[in-house]
Amino acid sequence: MSRHPLKGTHALAGVGLSRFGKVWGTSCLGFTLEACKNAIEECGITRDEIDGCLVSMPAIMGEQHGWSTRVAAHLGLEPRLATTMDMGGATPIGMIQTAALYIEAGMANAVICCFGMQNNPQGVVPQLFGSQFAIPYGDIGAITFMAHVARRQMHLYGYSSSQYGEIASAFRYHASMNPAAQKREPFTVEDHQRSPWIVEPMHLLDCCLVTDGGGAVIVTSLERARDLKQPPVVIAGAGQEHGAEMIFPVLPRNETPSGARAARSAFAMAGVLPHDVDVAMLYDGFTPLVMHELEAFGFAKHGEVGPWVATGALRLGGELPTNTHGGLLSEGHLFGVGHIAEGMRQVRRTAGPRQVENAEVVFVTGFGGAPHEAPPTLSYATLVLTPDHR
Amino acid sequence: MFTIDKPLPSPSEDTEPYWDATRDGRFVIPACAACGHRFMPPAKVCPKCLSDQVSFQPASGRGKVFSWIVVHRPQHPAFMEDAPYPVAIVELDEGPRLHGRLEGDLSSASVGAPVEVTFQKINDQITLPNFRLVTGT
Repeated sequence: MSRHPLKGTHALAGVGLSRFGKVWGTSCLGFTLEACKNAIEECGITRDEIDGCLVSMPAIMGEQHGWSTRVAAHLGLEPRLATTMDMGGATPIGMIQTAALYIEAGMANAVICCFGMQNNPQGVVPQLFGSQFAIPYGDIGAITFMAHVARRQMHLYGYSSSQYGEIASAFRYHASMNPAAQKREPFTVEDHQRSPWIVEPMHLLDCCLVTDGGGAVIVTSLERARDLKQPPVVIAGAGQEHGAEMIFPVLPRNETPSGARAARSAFAMAGVLPHDVDVAMLYDGFTPLVMHELEAFGFAKHGEVGPWVATGALRLGGELPTNTHGGLLSEGHLFGVGHIAEGMRQVRRTAGPRQVENAEVVFVTGFGGAPHEAPPTLSYATLVLTPDHR
Repeated sequence: MFTIDKPLPSPSEDTEPYWDATRDGRFVIPACAACGHRFMPPAKVCPKCLSDQVSFQPASGRGKVFSWIVVHRPQHPAFMEDAPYPVAIVELDEGPRLHGRLEGDLSSASVGAPVEVTFQKINDQITLPNFRLVTGT
């Protein structure tokens, strides 16, 4: 098989997170700039070398128009390329893939990919997304959508609520070793079972945190990244798919889950198989999503994920250490940039007590879209990250 | 007193026949004249064959529970007064799936349970179709 032209050609050169947690009083823009500054300083790239700026669409009305260009202007940049992107929680990885394509095409040399989120904006009301065929019933947002997914999984495979609890408990255990995590106190599966219902069959501890903050990643060619301050994190594989099959199969072709295709492309490009993955960073807005991903991405067979997870497979030391930073469920909802940052730490061997020994293949995912719509649009974006073996 | 209203459908050219029918106590869903596909939610173009020969045709209003949930913490303040409340995704006998409040004895709620459509009048314009669990035979 011929080598994929993008395989191993580009790298994540730098990463930066802003302060995050319940941080009121700082704007979406403020978090974005804070993260960008941290990413630029982390890798030591000259600011003026950055000629591409990709920014995730902010979830606040009135701030969308020309957003990426405005962020660039605040960074003192006049980039050759600037675009605001929206794939929901798949956006950060989507931006990285787009950045690699820009660079591969010779349209940019270094691209900053960033986001910011303020959940308590003053004077603006977040828009209620909506389908007139779901919202009037009070079936609103990602939480109800994921509760439906859990119900289907429980029905089809007999998964128990406590198996979902083990996912959440494992990630919290990891977060207890992450000083930056928003929630660090470990909990047991029993604690999970006692936590209140949010939307049956999901408990409070099945749901991710609400987080104000921002993140940024700098993408450049592997060659350029080698001269910067940090060891380059090589993009070995990438995949992206958009589908609707989880609840509403719109078209026959959606019977093949798009998540499976997104993982397959990334693994094929990297020349690895699911069992080669040393550490996984799975987008974990809700525990049923993790169940779905493990199955769709080929880590366990359909119907076997629940019992497998219950063996502690996702914990450090387990078969597939997953979300060693705590994930959206415990580190905080950094839109997946927290996952990318931890994936980079694992590749660079800087994850401290959370380091997975000899982490060579790190798999990072993003998931998003508009589950509030009927049919829901589902976006999957995946990356395989490896160390630079020159 | 300041109150927050529940969000309601805002019928457009694409969806008006659906809401006109529920207001009259009838249940219709889009059907494609070109390929016979029946689908939800309504749209001007058939998602299967891209034909624009789409019209609204009577549906049985019967189906099975595809999924059901109980919302304890609504994501919109107007629904607080209803909580906890059950919402189902129903798979109609005709194939398409759609949301509705789940009515009837919840102790008999399960995936696959048979349901039939009911109509809940909200105001002079809007009547929401819901689904009631059918018990017995």
